[in-house]
Amino acid sequence: MNRRAFATMFASSAAVLLLATGLSHAEVKVGTPAPAFSAVNSEGKTVNLNDYRGKTVVLEWTNDGCPYVRKHYGSGNMQALQKKWTDQGIVWLSVISSPPGEQGFADGARANSLTTERKAMPTAVLLDPKQQVAKAFGATSTPHMYVIKPDGTLAYAGAIDDKPTSRPSDITGAKNYVDEALAELKAGKPVTNPATRAYGCVVKYSS
Amino acid sequence: MLLNNLNRILALVLCVVGFACSSARAQNPADLVKVELLAEPDAIVPGEPFTVGIKLSMKEHWHTYWQNPGDSGEPTQATWKLPPGFTAGDLEWPAPSLIRVGPAANFGYEGHTILLARVTPPRDVRPGTTVDLAADVAYLVCEKICIPGEASVSLSLPVSEQGRPQHTNALFDAARSQLPQPSPWSAAFGSDTKAITLFLRAQDLRGDAIRSATFFPYDNTLIDNAAPQVLQADGETTRLSIERSQIAKSIPQRIDGVLVLEEDVGGKLARHAFAIQAAPSAALAAGEGGLTILYAVISALIAGVILNLMPCVFPVLSIKILHLTQHEAETPRRVRLHGVAYAFGILACFTILAGVLHALRSGGAEIGWGFQLQSPLVVASLAFILFALGLSLSGILTIGTSLTRVGGSRLLQQGGLSGSFFAGVLATVVATPCTAPFMGASIGFALTQPFQVGLAVFLALGLGLALPFLVLAFMPGLQRLLPRPGPWMETLKQFLAFPLYATVAWLVWVLSFQVGASGLLAALASLVLIAFGAWAYGLSQGQSNVSARALRGMAAVSVVGVVALAIVIDLNRPTETTAQGASPQVSSEAFSQQKLDALLASRQPVFVNLTAAWCITCLVNERTALSTGAVREAFAGKQVTYLKGDWTNRNPEITRLLEKFGRSGVPLYVLYRDGREPVVLPQILTPSLVLDALEQI
Repeated sequence: MNRRAFATMFASSAAVLLLATGLSHAEVKVGTPAPAFSAVNSEGKTVNLNDYRGKTVVLEWTNDGCPYVRKHYGSGNMQALQKKWTDQGIVWLSVISSPPGEQGFADGARANSLTTERKAMPTAVLLDPKQQVAKAFGATSTPHMYVIKPDGTLAYAGAIDDKPTSRPSDITGAKNYVDEALAELKAGKPVTNPATRAYGCVVKYSS
Repeated sequence: MLLNNLNRILALVLCVVGFACSSARAQNPADLVKVELLAEPDAIVPGEPFTVGIKLSMKEHWHTYWQNPGDSGEPTQATWKLPPGFTAGDLEWPAPSLIRVGPAANFGYEGHTILLARVTPPRDVRPGTTVDLAADVAYLVCEKICIPGEASVSLSLPVSEQGRPQHTNALFDAARSQLPQPSPWSAAFGSDTKAITLFLRAQDLRGDAIRSATFFPYDNTLIDNAAPQVLQADGETTRLSIERSQIAKSIPQRIDGVLVLEEDVGGKLARHAFAIQAAPSAALAAGEGGLTILYAVISALIAGVILNLMPCVFPVLSIKILHLTQHEAETPRRVRLHGVAYAFGILACFTILAGVLHALRSGGAEIGWGFQLQSPLVVASLAFILFALGLSLSGILTIGTSLTRVGGSRLLQQGGLSGSFFAGVLATVVATPCTAPFMGASIGFALTQPFQVGLAVFLALGLGLALPFLVLAFMPGLQRLLPRPGPWMETLKQFLAFPLYATVAWLVWVLSFQVGASGLLAALASLVLIAFGAWAYGLSQGQSNVSARALRGMAAVSVVGVVALAIVIDLNRPTETTAQGASPQVSSEAFSQQKLDALLASRQPVFVNLTAAWCITCLVNERTALSTGAVREAFAGKQVTYLKGDWTNRNPEITRLLEKFGRSGVPLYVLYRDGREPVVLPQILTPSLVLDALEQI
């Protein structure tokens, strides 16, 4: 069997498997309630989305080995955004969905040391090694960003900004969609760009 | 080829600046992608554009990205560093592959790919010197993890004198064959909240040979990249349904992208990419679920009403209405019954048509609406019926008819309810040639639906056709508005023959595409015979027994003659029809075994191309290889006779030749050279492949 045929066979059987196990990613829609979830955070506590009713919540999918994540952490861009908005009372949850053995996987201790090393300012880091939260939200990339309004509806889903590259130099001059959405929500205005195409590395789904 | 160490340094810097070298497993992008800069000519000529290629060779399982990377990733970018005066065009992207990663889908390249660009040197570059071309190529290479890389590549080329022959380069030929070709089909799109449907006017596309169809839009917010795309072909329109993404704010005015079709060519998969530009389709716009059916039914109803005005139907309807005015003695109830009978006649016909069509399709026949007109016999028969009807309106068939017996054919004259029923049948029969070009798209849509829906659309069309007469029959007030009978009716009746003759003329024109010269002659002779028979029959009506019998005998002989000629028409199927009319062609002759044998006997080189209108691979080969200037020149230079066999319709001679070369289908390309074994070319051609083969003559 040649490689191509094998690859095709492999891909199609993988696709069938995906369909069979009902893993086809859920499409969340901006304007509708965000899917409820609970996950263990890096301190070992179980966190439930409902715990944050009445507060604006940001979800940030992350993978410390991904060049696109590094673009925003290496430059301090992500930390600055986390600080700016957690200071104003919003809840920032970083989600790590890489399974063990894959790039970006972290247990609680590793996740905490990453936060310290990077001087990151999330409210909590959620560990999602089985991609349950990722599947619920249909997260495909790192960084994939979501903003949930205090009433639990999804206000933003997509990229962090409008420059889909891994070059840190592109951060200057880029329009930060998350910052824009949070500012508009704070001002009680509708979100101008509620959905964009996320960019970055693929979220590592364990097959 | 200079492979820069920049990326190595970059990786190192990342490693030092970053902190997680260990977790990144320190992959070096240069080990994953080999970047080369290649030029098609071995020397450049001042002022003459040439093609360069950036070749990316990926390590197994790794991929780089297309201009729209899909759910993640980043397109490869090139920054040119060219000598002064040189300009480079945009990168030309080969058609991408769909690369699934978990629940996401990327658009990109595995294995290797060549991004082409056209470079134009200035006129004043001096022959004898060398020029250096360079580019910085930034790419993202991913497997499960993604690594950005950058490579500086360069190339030196000598400058030569004007007019040095440029050899086509097999590598570049292959690269060009991966670029999307202009679409041979016009495209439109419809959309609803969930999906975008692309419609291709591709009558020739055979659904059963297409293994996969994937549309890659340039706009990366348009579709759900990972969702399966569903292809449906009905012989008229090919539809591809694609789930919309939740990101796109609104549907654009135009959808641009690349459609990749994989066609089964004799057991092998041939991959073809076409550049698609789809405009919103007003006629084909689809609402959601039930609305679509309602829309189709309503539009069919309206189309049915409009059909009444078509040149083939209008005379029949007019005469039927005139007939109504003469039934003053009839009660309004009877008149209503006439209307209902007429409608039933039409609806019965449409039910039968829908049933036959459905039965044939479920039997596997690849037919769509208008299938009736694909048979020259049906076209000829319709022409004959309409011609006979026209003759009767002109008064030739019904000499001695009184004014009260207006209405040419017996069917139209019959006063009984069965007369009205058959008038409905006749209206449907004569309407057939007009519906095909008119209703094709909507009925084509109905045929892709379950039988009940299809039937509903057909019946709506029939109801529309019956509607004007029905309304008239049920509204006595309207009937009173009709003009009183009088001698003017005879004049009108004769005048109404002319739309029928016009339809006959059109049908003969249609026939001229379906049969050869002798078939056409037989059809025209039949028309003359029909006129003669009609005249003889009409004359017989006012004659004594003996001469009446003789005249009727002559009429009967004419009918037999017409039947005999009809057989001639049916047998005279064309040997040469090409659906690829618009594309530039090499001058070719129609293939026949006899012609081939004669040419071989005279020791001439012959190139045989066996093709079919529904074969995409054939179409692409003709456009990209056989019709190129270089190949045409080589054909002319080597005095090769180019024979083209069209297998669109069944042709036993072509089938035999295919079998001789162990093939069960087209395409087949064979080059016969004097006395030697014929050379069979591959099923997927490039110009250099053909040129190489011709070179050996």
